[in-house]
Amino acid sequence: MADILIEPVTRIIGSARVRVILNESNQPEGARFQAFGYRGFEQFVVGSHVDNLLPIVSRICGSDSVFHQIAAARAVEMCRGFTPPEGVLILRKLAMYAQLFERHAISLTMHSLPDLLFPSSDPGVRNIISIHRVDEEVARRVLDLKSLGTAVLAEVAGGGVHAVNFVPGGVIRGVDEEVRKKLIGRLEQAKPLLLETGRLIKMLLRRNEEAVNNLGIKPTAYLAIKGEGGMALEGDRLTVIKEDGASQEDLASGEIPERVEEIPKPHSHIKGVSLSRIGDIRVGALARLNVNRLYGTQMADEELDEIKSMWGFPLHQSMISHAARMVEMINAWEKMMEILREAPGEEVSSGLTISPGRGVGVVEGPEGTMIYDLVLDEEGRVRKLRITAPLQFNLPGLEGSLAEGAQNMFSGGELGERERNRLEMAVRAYAPCTLCGVH
Amino acid sequence: MRIGLISLSSCQGCQMVFLGLEEYLYSFISENKVSYAPFLMDEKDLPEVDLVLVEGTVRNGDHFRKARLTRDKAASLVALGSCACFGGVQGLANMVSEEELIRRGFGDTLSFQGGPPGVKRLLPLDSYIKVDAFLPGCPPPAGLLRVFLQQVLSGELPSRDAATVCSECRVSSPALPQSGLRRMATERPQPGRCLLEQGFICMGPLTRDGCGARCPSELGVPCIGCRGPSQVVMTEPYADMRLESIRRLARATGHKTEEIEKEIKDPAQTFFKFCLAEPSLRRRRTGGTAPYIYRLGEEG
Repeated sequence: MADILIEPVTRIIGSARVRVILNESNQPEGARFQAFGYRGFEQFVVGSHVDNLLPIVSRICGSDSVFHQIAAARAVEMCRGFTPPEGVLILRKLAMYAQLFERHAISLTMHSLPDLLFPSSDPGVRNIISIHRVDEEVARRVLDLKSLGTAVLAEVAGGGVHAVNFVPGGVIRGVDEEVRKKLIGRLEQAKPLLLETGRLIKMLLRRNEEAVNNLGIKPTAYLAIKGEGGMALEGDRLTVIKEDGASQEDLASGEIPERVEEIPKPHSHIKGVSLSRIGDIRVGALARLNVNRLYGTQMADEELDEIKSMWGFPLHQSMISHAARMVEMINAWEKMMEILREAPGEEVSSGLTISPGRGVGVVEGPEGTMIYDLVLDEEGRVRKLRITAPLQFNLPGLEGSLAEGAQNMFSGGELGERERNRLEMAVRAYAPCTLCGVH
Repeated sequence: MRIGLISLSSCQGCQMVFLGLEEYLYSFISENKVSYAPFLMDEKDLPEVDLVLVEGTVRNGDHFRKARLTRDKAASLVALGSCACFGGVQGLANMVSEEELIRRGFGDTLSFQGGPPGVKRLLPLDSYIKVDAFLPGCPPPAGLLRVFLQQVLSGELPSRDAATVCSECRVSSPALPQSGLRRMATERPQPGRCLLEQGFICMGPLTRDGCGARCPSELGVPCIGCRGPSQVVMTEPYADMRLESIRRLARATGHKTEEIEKEIKDPAQTFFKFCLAEPSLRRRRTGGTAPYIYRLGEEG
């Protein structure tokens, strides 16, 4: 019998298809998550002066653009072993939390909330636009969360999409007093909405327990940046933890590229990767939670306690990534507030002396660990760039979750619309970005 | 109106701007029926629509089929963003052949099964299908998108606009003799003053307006040309973005054009970042993008 094909997978970032592979006795034996349209960013950026590097890599992905820019900037700086002044790092952090907040809001409210709210409804109803038609207030409220992230990003990064404020070594403009106050006001105003959405997501996940237990629960190893005293989006130390949650290995960011093994497959332009001496790992909100064990801010850590009591620890159910994303939004809100209250200041760095050499920049993007491995020549031009996007790490895990989902639901014959959407839910649990995946 | 939103090969940044329209977004989705938007809803096949916004351009056979189908199903079709209008940043891939790009990305031995064939060369959307209106920008600013959508919904299809970023820029431009070409990674410009006059590579004089010149006048960073070439550059057969920029930089810094030219070793990524795939710039008698583009039929 022919494989089962779901094409296109909807409500994700980018475009992809799912193929469930059936064996001779018509039972699912595996699944593939496929995307084509390799864009060649790593190739055509070669030869560019570093001034052109950030504007180019930003265009890999509109919704993760700041993370691409900062990973690239960090890689340029690491060629020289340069660490930017504190003020620069703080503004970058603020921009990353803002984009993480925005991106999670999209994944949660626009992509996955309709599944959790209407698990058995007609597909025509299962989207934010239909929700808006039925209940304008609810749709507005959830879309307002995304807008909050965009607003902070636009002010701090100089643009909601493809920011222009960051350069290797520094930041062009700081945040002035008026903007700071405006953003604090806007964040304060959104607090009840954020917490209410958090309660809603938890409640809906409990209500959809069957989906949680069927769409990928297999334990894996995890990789994330290890923060000091909680989760961090930037840093030079990473930790791998084993399936049982025990720490397996600490890695410096510079060591990572040597350990990343690409596994190109003929059925997709997304190159899956594994870590040598470890094997397949997963990255992202669930990985960050499992690796760091706490967020380091009050409200987020309270939420985390509740999540641990509900679903255990370490957490392996891929659907619980939604809960982890929600807590990361709360954490991001607290971090943004903390930074803005402490007045990041307007004085930022001057220029950087560009040095030839190799540098590695690692950030935790919304979807997980992202790696830029860069070689610059004597003239400050890119000689080589290798980008590892989070989806590349998550690909084996995602395909594993799809296979689990298919095996749990499939009993021969065709898959109905509900089951097909279930498999798409297994995809959405990873909030994958195929645009980053086929960079 | 029945509306469709479609992404071909792109970064989906334009859709992010659409989703960031705040109040206007709510009235847009109340007053119109968004009937196809895979980013937001589960409808798998494009129905007949009155207006479709197409983001991105054609990278492979799947995109080509989707573009053709979209044209058939849509009464009006808008190219949204610089990828759809000019090929965008991903058009820089035209520096090498499709085969070479895949070989460098995946090695010599892998051959893809069941995937769509890649295009030989990246081109803007209107090289494949008829486009009724264009809104370039990477991404188009939210205010511009809102006004554009209002115009389109009222039945007007705005044409490409004409002036340059400099016409909207509010910086002063006193003569500031400079020591030479300057780079953003290593130096910072003086705020409120023309960046080109300060020796930075600013594409403002050659880039279409409509963005309010926010980068150079408010944020103090040079224009990188994300709105695409101005009308003059598009229509004047002798206009050469690279040479024009170099001339201006030479004038500003008091250097010879040859000296500036020698320093900029990545002309494709610097001067044609968003429009290397635009065919009208390739067919120039002098200058243009031809020297940087892989010639079909040649290796590498």
